[in-house]
Amino acid sequence: MTASENPTGGIRDSYTEKYGFHDADQFVFKARKGLDPEIVRGISQMKGEPAWMLEFRLKALETYRKKPLPRWGGDLSQIDFDDIYYYVKPTEQEAKSWEDVPADMKRTFDRLGIPEAEQKFLSGVGAQYDSEVVYHKIKENLEKLGVLFLSTDHALRDHEELFRRYFATVIPPTDNKFAALNSAVWSGGSFIYVPKGVRVDVPLQAYFRINTKDMGQFERTLIIVDEGAYVHYVEGCTAPTYSSDSLHSAVVEIIVKAGGRCRYTTIQNWSNNVYNLVTKRAAAYRDATMEWVDGNLGSKLTIKYPAIYLMEPGAHGEVLSIAFAGKGQHQDAGAKAVHVAPNTTSKIVSKSISKDGGRAGYRGLIKVARGAVGCRSTVNCDALILDDISRSDTYPTMEIEEDQVSIGHEATVSKIGDEQLFYLTSRGVPKDEAAAMIVAGFIEPVVKELPMEYAVEMNRLIQLQMEGSVG
Amino acid sequence: MTAGTRTTTRPVEGGLDAWPALALERAVRANEPAWALEQRRKAAEVVARLPFPDRRLELWRRTDFGTLALGELDPFAPGLKARNVDDLPAAVIARLAGEASNLGLLVQRNSDVVLEQTPPALAQQGVIVCSLERALREHPEKLEHRLGALIETDLDRYAALHQAMRAGGAFVWVPDGVQAALPIRLIQWLDPDQPSAGAPAGARTGVATAPATVIALGRGASATVLEECLSETADGPAFFSGGTEVFVGEDAKLVYGHLQDWGRNVVHYSNQRARIERGGELQWIQTFLGGRTTKTNSYFQLVGAGARAYVHGFMFGDQRQHFDLHTLQKHLAEQTTSDLFIKSALKDRARSVYQGMIQVAHGAQRTDAYQANRNLLLSDTARADSIPGLEILANDVRCTHGATVGTVDAEQMYYLMTRGLPRNDAQRLVVEGFFAPVLDRIPLESVREQLRGMIQAKIG
Repeated sequence: MTASENPTGGIRDSYTEKYGFHDADQFVFKARKGLDPEIVRGISQMKGEPAWMLEFRLKALETYRKKPLPRWGGDLSQIDFDDIYYYVKPTEQEAKSWEDVPADMKRTFDRLGIPEAEQKFLSGVGAQYDSEVVYHKIKENLEKLGVLFLSTDHALRDHEELFRRYFATVIPPTDNKFAALNSAVWSGGSFIYVPKGVRVDVPLQAYFRINTKDMGQFERTLIIVDEGAYVHYVEGCTAPTYSSDSLHSAVVEIIVKAGGRCRYTTIQNWSNNVYNLVTKRAAAYRDATMEWVDGNLGSKLTIKYPAIYLMEPGAHGEVLSIAFAGKGQHQDAGAKAVHVAPNTTSKIVSKSISKDGGRAGYRGLIKVARGAVGCRSTVNCDALILDDISRSDTYPTMEIEEDQVSIGHEATVSKIGDEQLFYLTSRGVPKDEAAAMIVAGFIEPVVKELPMEYAVEMNRLIQLQMEGSVG
Repeated sequence: MTAGTRTTTRPVEGGLDAWPALALERAVRANEPAWALEQRRKAAEVVARLPFPDRRLELWRRTDFGTLALGELDPFAPGLKARNVDDLPAAVIARLAGEASNLGLLVQRNSDVVLEQTPPALAQQGVIVCSLERALREHPEKLEHRLGALIETDLDRYAALHQAMRAGGAFVWVPDGVQAALPIRLIQWLDPDQPSAGAPAGARTGVATAPATVIALGRGASATVLEECLSETADGPAFFSGGTEVFVGEDAKLVYGHLQDWGRNVVHYSNQRARIERGGELQWIQTFLGGRTTKTNSYFQLVGAGARAYVHGFMFGDQRQHFDLHTLQKHLAEQTTSDLFIKSALKDRARSVYQGMIQVAHGAQRTDAYQANRNLLLSDTARADSIPGLEILANDVRCTHGATVGTVDAEQMYYLMTRGLPRNDAQRLVVEGFFAPVLDRIPLESVREQLRGMIQAKIG
């Protein structure tokens, strides 16, 4: 097979050896399979939560029961919600140093390169293993400035007042079925608070790992960027390759106050047996900036549309989305920008690649509420289909209730251009390299926004498949 | 049954539930062929089975028919037969602008076709322009595999109701190799309702009608066909349910326009389908100016290599008008082309919904598909929803879509005003310019000019 026929042949081909391993099952507590009020009470009790949180969870469970499954976005009929462990507690407590992380888990995160990254690139690191965060660390100087970076469970325990002021204010449990599910059984996730005027120049990172088979991971992340502050948060996720499916259903809420800026980067690289059904939403206030950089490479089915609510004048939102769907994968990625206030702006760039029968797409919403005059929004979606058995979908929606606005959407779907290939090969570039260059160029606008080590990784993956596909 | 130019209308006893059986009885009396009767029966079963669509259906999320009480309308309102053009309503005569003798012409009033006219120039070519009722009697073999072949009976309850209640409608046939010598116009007219004798004062029984149109062009044929919906605004509600099925044969070329200029009391629902064979070309123009609420589904199937569809349309709403257009460009064969451009301008509290989809089937390589939607909001209480979409299952394709929503361009306004134009005139020019590219494609000059006038009047 020539490279041009299979220009990303190697992306994720080495997943099993790199990420797909799993540790022997280890946990200090594992709830029985299935979900009922008793399980929810058990989770809350084990965490020693205040009564209001238990009440919140039980109410959310009721909401979850009542809400229908979404009828769009992908096939959810194969998920057996009774055959899932909703809570698996891997250790007794969160470690403050790598030495205290249990050996097997430490080996896992070592293999994934987490401690190394912490030293080299990061201001702080969190690591979640199944339902609980097993390690969390932030650089001392940031701690002194009042920056909080801890597991969401600990935030509830140690900073209840701050926590309660913001928790579930951006995404209420009634938002959708999976937000309700998460609200009922949430565990782990990151809590970040950046005080007024503090700039966290080096990213904070969390790493999410599912180990247990038939496991559901429901982390809950809450980020508050106070006035004029800045933070860049990076999350990565992987899981072992099992024959049966796992469920990952996170809720991420972000509040960016006046003049603040938050960038949230996701490299989703779940194994191909994970249903990834995530609700992510940010509220950006006066002159604040919210940026989602959302890379979806893994999972069986991802349904995720990072959203920005532009709440006050001058707020700006950006979403950069890259979706890659290989064999057996469906990436229903996208973005939402809801312009509530006048003179707010948003920009969405989506790049999707599908191959080997995969299905990648963009589903989005631009909404301009009545009164939100002077809004500007642009959406650009490009899709590359690499063979004749794959599929690309684009479903943008625009709901505009105000006239003094400028809203635009453009999308293209194509294959690797023969002209581009010809141009490069006529200049002596071998065909496989040429195809790789074109694919790299296609995703470049997004890749260049990734933190260095991820950008390198992404480009390396593209290179790798080229080597594998020669002949 | 008829009184002057007005129509005595009365609701059907038993309401909507009784409609399909009565329509079937009438069809039996009219000697419709067995297969056509069977089609009505099957549709009636779907009507009985399905509820009316609501917001849970994707295609009905943004549009509903509000207070329309269908069961209180008269689905069998007769139309006054016309001996010639002079017997037609004045507004229709004006619309024809003295050109009637140079047209294939069919006029329907309410539920009846009242005028069929095929001038010798067309008749000699073997071109058929007649009522669907006549075609079912005289050309059943030409209709059996066409009528109802493209519109899905169970798309929603209204679609099923249309097939069960079919009344009137037109058949246009252009034989292989024939270039139709004259344009063909199919006009729908709805009379204002007239309270029936003894009805309580103020009670209105509006007209409901469901004509079906079949247009078929043979291999290498060509024709220009306009379907026009006209009425004057009346007090009572009226419901028009349309169904148009268009067949463009191999290497045939059809220019088709659908112009909706109803009075403001009409709720319009229609399904329009076109099937284009190898090498065929369809030029499609769709305009919405009138009516209270309009919901139209226009689907284009490109089934043979080299088939092409060029679709241009506009909607211009004011007051509380609501337009909803759903288009589907289905590429089912290699090397097919579709190019779609829908424009919408909205004043006052008007609202438009444009939902469009390009589907490229597995194996439909070298497809070239384009879809654009432009929305111009002329008031801060107007609303435009745009939902373009792509579903692509082939890789060697070029598919692009774009959608924009905005207001009158400040730079254009500035340019015009610096040249001394008052604000209103400048805005008028910009809006006229917005519609011009679609307007220019309307095939008959007299129709084009009338539409231009209507747009100008509407800009105000």
